[in-house]
Amino acid sequence: MADKLRMGAVGEADVILAFKAIGAMTIPAVTADEVTQALHRLSRDKVPLIFITEAAARMAPEAISRYEQTPDTAVIPIPGIGGSDGYGTQRVRENVIKAIGADILIKQDRNEE
Amino acid sequence: MAQGKIIKVAGSLIVAEGMTDARMYDVVRVSRHHLIGEILELRGDKASIQVYEETSGLGPGEPVESTGAPLSLELGPGLIESIFDGIQRPLQRIYEQAGDRITRGIELPSLDRQKQWAFSPKAAVGDEVSHGDIIGTVQESPVIEHRIMVPKGFAGTVKSIHRGLAKVEDTVCVLTAADGKEQHLSMMQRWPVRQGRPYREKLYPTSPMVTGQRVIDTLFPIASGGVAAIPGPFGSGKTVVQHQLAKWADADIIVYVGCGERGNEMTDVLKEFPELHDPRTGETLMKRTVLIANTSDMPVAAREASIYTGITIAEYYRDMGYSVAIMADSTSRWAEALREMSGRLEEMPGEEGYPAYLSSRIAEFYERAGLVQCLGSDDRRGAITAIGAVSPPGGDISEPVSQATLRIVKVFWGLSAQLAYKRHFPAIDWLQSYSLYSDNLSEWFTDHVSPEWNELRAKTMRILQEESELEEIVRLVGTDALGWRDRLTMEVARSIREDYLHQNAFDDVDTYTSLQKQLLMLRLILDYGDKGQMALDAGVNLSDVINMPVRERIGRAKYVPEDSLENFDKIETELADQADALINRGGY
Repeated sequence: MADKLRMGAVGEADVILAFKAIGAMTIPAVTADEVTQALHRLSRDKVPLIFITEAAARMAPEAISRYEQTPDTAVIPIPGIGGSDGYGTQRVRENVIKAIGADILIKQDRNEE
Repeated sequence: MAQGKIIKVAGSLIVAEGMTDARMYDVVRVSRHHLIGEILELRGDKASIQVYEETSGLGPGEPVESTGAPLSLELGPGLIESIFDGIQRPLQRIYEQAGDRITRGIELPSLDRQKQWAFSPKAAVGDEVSHGDIIGTVQESPVIEHRIMVPKGFAGTVKSIHRGLAKVEDTVCVLTAADGKEQHLSMMQRWPVRQGRPYREKLYPTSPMVTGQRVIDTLFPIASGGVAAIPGPFGSGKTVVQHQLAKWADADIIVYVGCGERGNEMTDVLKEFPELHDPRTGETLMKRTVLIANTSDMPVAAREASIYTGITIAEYYRDMGYSVAIMADSTSRWAEALREMSGRLEEMPGEEGYPAYLSSRIAEFYERAGLVQCLGSDDRRGAITAIGAVSPPGGDISEPVSQATLRIVKVFWGLSAQLAYKRHFPAIDWLQSYSLYSDNLSEWFTDHVSPEWNELRAKTMRILQEESELEEIVRLVGTDALGWRDRLTMEVARSIREDYLHQNAFDDVDTYTSLQKQLLMLRLILDYGDKGQMALDAGVNLSDVINMPVRERIGRAKYVPEDSLENFDKIETELADQADALINRGGY
């Protein structure tokens, strides 16, 4: 596996099964504990890229923040079955505020609306 | 003796002429009131004299008479449980005779002349004795056996020795000196305060003075025979720390010098000590305490002497083979007294107006402490541990008194106003304070407490150090920037601060912690840290580690009484169980 990009996917089984098709390690998780354990397992196996459904990410904010800090793991939220609930955008916005000290995405959002 | 005449009066300093026979540091009697004074400076036949009493009403022309002897203390049975002023006048008996205020010129012997003491001889007729040998003992208080020693200048063969009741001035032993003359010894001897009492050899201290104060015993221990300073701004708890040490330190004798501080603080000592019981002897603390009081409203010149009076009494008990602790609160007031006298003497002022000899005077005081091999034919050892409070104005320790003190002392317990403001007491700042004895004492702790003591201590220091570094990061970029391991470290550091270093002097159980309990408490907190890290590694959430129910019990461990230390095993088991449960739930 070393020559391939290793990926993981965590969340509702219906969503993440598709990732299995492209060789990702998929772990279905629908409770906070399951999500925490899944993230820990992937991180321990040094999986560098983890996709997580927004609904699952919302359940375990503490675990998400922990693995975000880890330099060799990237946690990417993806929309669930019902489409995006704004979690991803919210995170991007928070990071932008942290980086430059102002919410420059406001205008863009309004334009979109 | 020489009789002179006053030519100038400036506050507590007077200048007299016609003092041709007088010598430096001789005690003089001033005016018809017979006020006690001491010669500080001689120029031709003019002497500058510091007067230990109020000088109002004095004028030029009044007589000054030298006693021909330096300021000396009376050393003998009756010192324990007494309260003296700066020149060893017995305040209790002055009060009985003259009421609330010390009447000017009052003359009372320091030791009660009428009291009978039961003298039991230790030397036998025919024994050869010399300076420092013990000739007999007196039970001075239920816990202190007063050992009567041969004074300086006496030596010979015991010709006769008394047994039974005697007053302090009665002859208890007659010696035949080498030249055939008879020497009469009483239970009392005199010693000039400004001269250190002799000893055979000074030794390097290797055992700690256990104080029952966790931050002191664990992080910044003081050796028995060591010197320490407690600098701190007003209200940071210097006096409470000094009182705690006076109450709980495992010294045989405590000499407490209240030097220029509030009268109420001495009242606290007088009220509390007779009610508190020494954990080792079961007797009240007063039975091993000598108090020297020169409160802020008492004459300033006597304040200068009070420190020497205290250390001379301490040396006397050290010579008997006791471990003595002397607390001086505060040496800054004493230095101010020096400054005041120096100003009146018209000396060239040094830094901040203090005399140029400030640091040598401070050194003279602290150098009289130490662990020594006493004089005398038995190999007894005695120790003086000196602890001085320093009150730097505004809490800035760059001022001369603090700096001069820091150059000499080996233990520095820096009190911080910030900690006091946060109600963290004792407010000893763990980042600023140090103890240069800790390396020498590590062996003692390994042998007498536990082999893991030094390791736990080092780990605690490391965590506290790490916390301060992490706090810097948090201040710059916020808590979010910290990883979980670091956040747990901060949590463990918080536990060390709040559950361990914080100690309530006014709680019956928490006021004193034995070394064994300190070890158990520290081990518990550090075990929590280790188990917490293991849980994090196993994928447990930080909040679950922080909110483990056992933490409540860790926090309350300080209130576990000394006689039920087995409770710590239960808490340890609970901690292990809860950590295992978390790790198992965490999964991997």
